[in-house]
Amino acid sequence: MSVQDKKAIEVRGFLQLDQVFKKRNWPVPLLIDLEKPITGIELAEKLEIPIDEIEIIFVNGFAQSLHCIIQPGDRVAFVPPGCPGPYRMALGFYSKNQENKFSFTLKDKKEEQ
Amino acid sequence: MDKFIRVDMTTKQIATLDVPEKYAGLAGRALTSNFVADEVKPTCHPLGKNNKLIFAPGLLSGTTAAQSGRLSVGGKSPLTGTIKESNTGGTFSQKMAKMGIKALVIEGMPAEDKFYVIKIGMNGVVIDDAPAEIIGGCGNYKAIEVLNAKYGPKVGIALAGPAGEYRLPTANISFKDPEDHLRSAGRGGLGALMGSKKVKAVVIDDTGAPLSVPLAKPEEFKAAAKVFSQALLKHPVTGQALAAYGTDVLINIVNEAGGLPARNFTSGRIDFNDKISGETMNATITERGGEGKVSHGCHAGCIMRCSQWYPDQDGKYITSGFEYETVWALGADAGIQDLDDIAYLDRAMDDVGVDSIDVSVAIATAMEGGLIPWGDGKAALDIVKQIAVPTPLGRILGGGTAIVGKLCGLFRVPVVKDQAIPAYDPRSIKGIGLTYATTTMGADHTAGYAIATNVLKIGGYVDPLKKEGQVELSRNLQIATAAVDSTGMCLFIAFAILDIPEGFNALVDMINARYGLSLTADDVTALGKSVLKVERAFNAAAGFSNAHDRLPEFFEYEPCPPHNAVWDFTPEEIDEVYNF
Repeated sequence: MSVQDKKAIEVRGFLQLDQVFKKRNWPVPLLIDLEKPITGIELAEKLEIPIDEIEIIFVNGFAQSLHCIIQPGDRVAFVPPGCPGPYRMALGFYSKNQENKFSFTLKDKKEEQ
Repeated sequence: MDKFIRVDMTTKQIATLDVPEKYAGLAGRALTSNFVADEVKPTCHPLGKNNKLIFAPGLLSGTTAAQSGRLSVGGKSPLTGTIKESNTGGTFSQKMAKMGIKALVIEGMPAEDKFYVIKIGMNGVVIDDAPAEIIGGCGNYKAIEVLNAKYGPKVGIALAGPAGEYRLPTANISFKDPEDHLRSAGRGGLGALMGSKKVKAVVIDDTGAPLSVPLAKPEEFKAAAKVFSQALLKHPVTGQALAAYGTDVLINIVNEAGGLPARNFTSGRIDFNDKISGETMNATITERGGEGKVSHGCHAGCIMRCSQWYPDQDGKYITSGFEYETVWALGADAGIQDLDDIAYLDRAMDDVGVDSIDVSVAIATAMEGGLIPWGDGKAALDIVKQIAVPTPLGRILGGGTAIVGKLCGLFRVPVVKDQAIPAYDPRSIKGIGLTYATTTMGADHTAGYAIATNVLKIGGYVDPLKKEGQVELSRNLQIATAAVDSTGMCLFIAFAILDIPEGFNALVDMINARYGLSLTADDVTALGKSVLKVERAFNAAAGFSNAHDRLPEFFEYEPCPPHNAVWDFTPEEIDEVYNF
């Protein structure tokens, strides 16, 4: 655990969010002070990451839904739709992402229908 | 009428036969594995005269269906001693199918120490002497240039590289892709089997062949193919992420999950993942420009385009098909932190014709054994290039992970049935561990790759660190994979056909329209089961038992950080995977 301050959380963004983070000149990982526990949704909103661009979040190495409570000191990563392979099953993505229809159909393709 | 071609390298006799009745409904892995089970003596030495090598396109190869250009290659594995199906892209499969060639079998063994090229055309098959300049260490890139010049630029080519000539256990069979680069039937040492037959290359020229295979119901096929393509293109995995980041997108994800084996499987996470991730690969290719391409298809009709051309700092092509498993093994497992160093190693392994998983894991094992320093990409590249000579050290590395581990006196040797365990730690991602242990192929992540709807109900809710549901998950993944491997389809279609039901239905509909059948989804599952049973029976006759379906012991007593998980399945639980 590289978090020095137990109030801080480590945050990472994968796939296209990696570039979003870097364009904002955020370090890897981004450290954010947290005074009290918040949900993944609240953290995404705080960082201005659209909810429908997130399939799951990792919290301390486990795939979780956006409703998961993040505690000060946690390690968090946002994962957009697009993780390939049976790892979507083996890491438990499928029980966490059912609310986001864009986990299964690309946003622009869905809007075309 | 489709053809079944047999080339006897002992007598140099060529037989172009009708397809045996029992193989009429089979293709791809279903055909190669049934043939090997029928005709190869299970206890034979893999490099002896009784082993046979078979190439077979899939059920849908040669059609206009997206992703249908994969080829199955089969034989008894020189690496594992088990049955082997190794799968590749390139141009070979579609040419075989369009020429009406159901299978090509190479059998026997010449008495003379001389290499040959088998040339297949619409007018028949001939056996030529191999050009002298491609024998004795010539790299595969150069060999393709020479064979293109001799036989024409549009021919398909299968090559035994230098490692195949030297019959090393990690030798792959390299295939020319649409731009004269290399794809590989990588795993299991089938290049050594080809080398043992003294076949340096198989050249296939489809000049004069029809543009497509015959279709029983062309309009129905066209409609199903359209639905299938649309399913692929609208799914975030197959329609976006793979094209943007390739399979290397998994570095960050698996690292975050604590399942990225590091420093020869002593940890599940690294802190330099950002240097070798798919996201960084994408940014590097984009920034360098030149010949670099973020996405590229390994065969005509590939619309997912998970491959890429990775360029050097001057924009000059280094390598393509730069896969997650290779980057993982050289990066996380061997500690090489420079993506360029890893790219040059990937190219060198393609050029010498070895499996870039087994040799890369062997490099990490050699580092633990003190043969070269940890993380030293230049030293690793030097040894890989020695395989082409071959020096004794080159031969050792080309022997693969099991041999390197044994010679270095190590207990931490990540193999099952002597084949290296790929990029997912079985302690932290337990379902994958069951597949490594039990697959008929030796440790192979692609043996449990395809997903069917029944898996969603079982596997979508597993906890990666817990046992519950994992046996059923591994079993059903392996069954579905065996079926997809028989279609000629790329395994990556599985992501879309799971989540978009009409995509799966369209796959079955295409097979039915191609052959005039009325198969159902249950028939596809039954095909997968039958393939696995045939393969399992061959392995049993070759001397393998349940006792071989085990992970290396160190996984049981060395906890894997950060989750500090161990491998805790009992033998009885593991054996349930094949209880169907």
